[in-house]
Amino acid sequence: MSQGWLPVLTLATSLLVAPLIFALPERAWRARAVVNLSAAVLKILLVALLVLGFYQGRDFVFGFTVVEGASFLLQVDALGLMFAGLSSLLWLATTIYAIGYLEDSPNRKRFFGFFSLCVASTAGIALAGNLFTFLLFYELLTLSTYPLVVHRGHAKALAAGKVYLRYTVTGGLVLLLGVVALYALVGDVAFGQRERLADLGPDAYPLLTVLFLVLLVGLGVKAALVPLHGWLPRAMVAPAPVSALLHAVAVVKAGAFGIVRLVYDVYGISLVHELGLLTLLAAIASVTILFGSIRALSQQELKPRLAYSTISQVSYIVLGISLFGPFGTIAGLVHLMHQGLMKVTLFYCAGNYAEELGIHRIDELDGAGRRMPLTSLAFTVGALGMIGLPPVAGFISKWYLGIGAVQADMSWAIAVLAASSLLNAAYFLPIVHRLWFRQGPAHGRGRWPEERHLGRFETSTWLLLPTAATALFSILVGLLAGVPFSPLDLATFMATVEYLP
Amino acid sequence: MNLLLPVVLLWPLLVMLYGGLRLALVKQEGRNSRSRLELLGVGWWSAPLPALLLALWPGELSVSMPGWMLGGLWQLDEARRPWLLFGALLWLLAGWYARGYLADERRQAGEGDANALGRLMGFTLLWPLTLAGNLLLILAEDIPSFYLGFVTMTLAAYGLVIHRRDREAKLGGLAYIVLALIGEGMILAGLLWSAGSAEALTLTELRVAIGDAERGVWMATLLWLGFGVKAGVIGLHVWLPLAHPVAPTPASAVLSGVMVKGGVLGWLSTLPLGSGEAGLARLGEVIIVAGLVGAFGAALLGVIQRHPKAVLAYSSVSQLGMLASLVGVGLAAPDAWPALLAPVTLFAGHHGMTKGALFFGVGISEHPPRLPAWLIVTLLALPALSLGGALTSGLIAKGFIKEALKESEYSSLVSWLSVAAVGSTLLVARALWRQWRRRGEPGTPLRSPMCLAWLFAVLAAAAVPLWLPLGESVHWPTLSDLPGLLWPAALGLGLSGLALLAAKLGEGEWKLSSHLPPGDLWWGYAALARRMRSGLVTAGGMLESRGLQLRARLVAREHRAIARLDGLARYERRFSRLAVPLMIGLALLLLLGFWLG
Repeated sequence: MSQGWLPVLTLATSLLVAPLIFALPERAWRARAVVNLSAAVLKILLVALLVLGFYQGRDFVFGFTVVEGASFLLQVDALGLMFAGLSSLLWLATTIYAIGYLEDSPNRKRFFGFFSLCVASTAGIALAGNLFTFLLFYELLTLSTYPLVVHRGHAKALAAGKVYLRYTVTGGLVLLLGVVALYALVGDVAFGQRERLADLGPDAYPLLTVLFLVLLVGLGVKAALVPLHGWLPRAMVAPAPVSALLHAVAVVKAGAFGIVRLVYDVYGISLVHELGLLTLLAAIASVTILFGSIRALSQQELKPRLAYSTISQVSYIVLGISLFGPFGTIAGLVHLMHQGLMKVTLFYCAGNYAEELGIHRIDELDGAGRRMPLTSLAFTVGALGMIGLPPVAGFISKWYLGIGAVQADMSWAIAVLAASSLLNAAYFLPIVHRLWFRQGPAHGRGRWPEERHLGRFETSTWLLLPTAATALFSILVGLLAGVPFSPLDLATFMATVEYLP
Repeated sequence: MNLLLPVVLLWPLLVMLYGGLRLALVKQEGRNSRSRLELLGVGWWSAPLPALLLALWPGELSVSMPGWMLGGLWQLDEARRPWLLFGALLWLLAGWYARGYLADERRQAGEGDANALGRLMGFTLLWPLTLAGNLLLILAEDIPSFYLGFVTMTLAAYGLVIHRRDREAKLGGLAYIVLALIGEGMILAGLLWSAGSAEALTLTELRVAIGDAERGVWMATLLWLGFGVKAGVIGLHVWLPLAHPVAPTPASAVLSGVMVKGGVLGWLSTLPLGSGEAGLARLGEVIIVAGLVGAFGAALLGVIQRHPKAVLAYSSVSQLGMLASLVGVGLAAPDAWPALLAPVTLFAGHHGMTKGALFFGVGISEHPPRLPAWLIVTLLALPALSLGGALTSGLIAKGFIKEALKESEYSSLVSWLSVAAVGSTLLVARALWRQWRRRGEPGTPLRSPMCLAWLFAVLAAAAVPLWLPLGESVHWPTLSDLPGLLWPAALGLGLSGLALLAAKLGEGEWKLSSHLPPGDLWWGYAALARRMRSGLVTAGGMLESRGLQLRARLVAREHRAIARLDGLARYERRFSRLAVPLMIGLALLLLLGFWLG
């Protein structure tokens, strides 16, 4: 049974909202909020329908030929659904957050318009059924994110935007070259038709290796693999909700998701294994993990520290898929979800501190736990999760990564994991200590840099609710990882499909 | 009745949640309602009660929850029961003691001192959380729950250690958390490695996996060292003497009495004791030697300390070293282990309760109750002598161990342990002496919580062999065994008497102590870390400047390229000027062609 309209509709909810928002006048913030929120809720419902249908074994495919040899194809598989689910959930949370965050600031219309476009692109990336469609939305994401990064419009933001464009557009170009070469080689390949490349035989292996590397470089820019990560810490000048979305689900995650697609659905894990590229991938991931953590240690400001932490954490996904075996796959896929939830929480918290108290530097956080207990609690949860401590979601990822490493005969990766955990502890726990155990302005010592009283509670409810919700989710998906429909369950399902023909 | 298991863990969490909510509400309502707030109330104190009830519940219980993390499995079996019982009892007594110990701070908080309120809030919330972690660690059979319990206990206890928030407390807290995290890293690596090699999810499977694995000895080493941070393996023990003196006395008591036993329990739960392979026997010998080095080294370092709690902390390191050497026997001589398990458990229970009573005693000697001095001294000395192996539970535990080791190939270990017991006696004598020098004025009423908890702990510690459910009958020493068991304590007492005499005649305190602050190796580690850090910063700076140079070169090149592109525009202007003559020239040429053609 084929129901093509459902993925199209899912895509359309966020894509069509964009012109609607651009059409609304700048003042009409209520109408805009209603449009935004209802679209976000609608999208969650649609994705839930997709998940339900998928579990019942239905196929959702929609496609038409654009030009001879290249077709636009939307299809639904477990991996895409996971990403779509994450994107729609975090879209709702971030929209709520952004409404609170951007209250009374100029250019809100532009912001929310491009914001919807950005989310539409992630949905497109999630549901894309072949490389051509993927590339289309991947580039749309690049362009629609630029106005968000430079939203504030000051010199630093513009400079960061320039760097961002330079990196991503060149990356996109390289990716385009790779995709074109692949089309020239085998024609239009839908995701999942792995045998097409494997059938080329050993003669094509050198060419396939080169192509893989070209595609990896193209995707690696967004996934912020070292040394292609330079744009990410600078893009920190963006407003907090943008950073949150950028790090959790949109740009960085799109790159990582692309690498997952490349390994599993274009080449197929066995072919990549045969080409001997998995070791290379694991090495790149390990270097990135350690480099990001070490750089994070030396950051004095909150958001750059979180940015370097993202560089490190996203590579867990790459490390997971580079471990040949079901456990590695599960680890990589499940971390795709887990890292999103935890990182978005941390960025919301950073935004809350900045908005309510004007805090940007880490040493200004002394004693903030008393002034903003819920935000600080959420931050603590996110930080513990990043270190990989139970019961937060990060532990589940780390557990599967470790077991996957042993099973792939790469026990050295455990040393990388342990070292990264220690480094994560070294740059997150001092912040947690400051929040709860140091004395600061809340104890009558000094003043907050710029205190505002945004709401009845510790800060505006719009800001507090998404923060608390994502923190709660981060704990729940770790604590209840064994229940059906949890990310772990989805990832296990996906890995079984992958390894059992 | 399997529901009792989750209740045991949920109750402390509920207590914490309730406390947090109450505090939040009071904060909302404002200052005047603060006096109504009863911190450390009876509800708070009841946190370990369900655990105690569970420990006394007859029969084995287990509860499995497939949805919990990677599949939860909690159990109460005969091996866990003694640990749960003495752990819960000590937590209960320490909570009671804390109500008296922190009375001053409670009063200050009631009067509106924000700092005292903040500290008490931390204590009120983190105490039950630490307890919950400790209980989960004892009851968990699946690895994730076990690790969750261990981590929760470790991290939450940090808040208890730095309760005072002054410089020393921060140093103690730093030493504690840094070493704990290093241990955590090793535990995680060891658990992942061993669990991955056999897809093990429960601790029983894990032990089998390590026994069977090709590189099992390295996995076991990681786990030994990782849990060894808690259990004070020499070299990793440095946090104990730094953290114990600064923590509030009830927290020190549970830290030294129960929480460090979490490390020992970690060994018992993860190391394939009693079924070791040939490769693990070597590790067992290493553990025995390290344990004995710890037992002696800590005694030497401890007797020159001034703070009674630092001395007691070194005493814990020493006693844990003895315990570790017994665990090592389980790897080195697997056949001897079944007979050794009960004595080891008894020894752990005895040390836990006795050390708890001794720590309570430190607070008691600072605020003595209105009792005759000789009675207080006797009650303080009773657990001290017991720890030295001269009386009550200590004597019986030692006899039991001796009996169990007699048959095995490690019977010479008994003599080593006896020599170490001399050190233990010296340490407790030193601790009592320092307590005597710092004694306060009697004034605490006898029926205060502090005093009652202490009295009860002293009695319970003396009677450990009577109530600890070991599952097999304790071997009571006969009259003919006594000389062999008592000489270390006698020797230790004689030596401490001599030292006391020398101190009276000589300068008073030893000069040496000013050269060796508590934490011994910590200062070396800290200096090393500082040097490494400065090296790293230099290296990082160099890399940074390289990167900047590279970037500058790239930018310069880009500028040049753009300048060249700009240059093209100049040519364009020239082209436009040339266009007209070119056209005319072309037209002329064409005309010429036509004319000629």
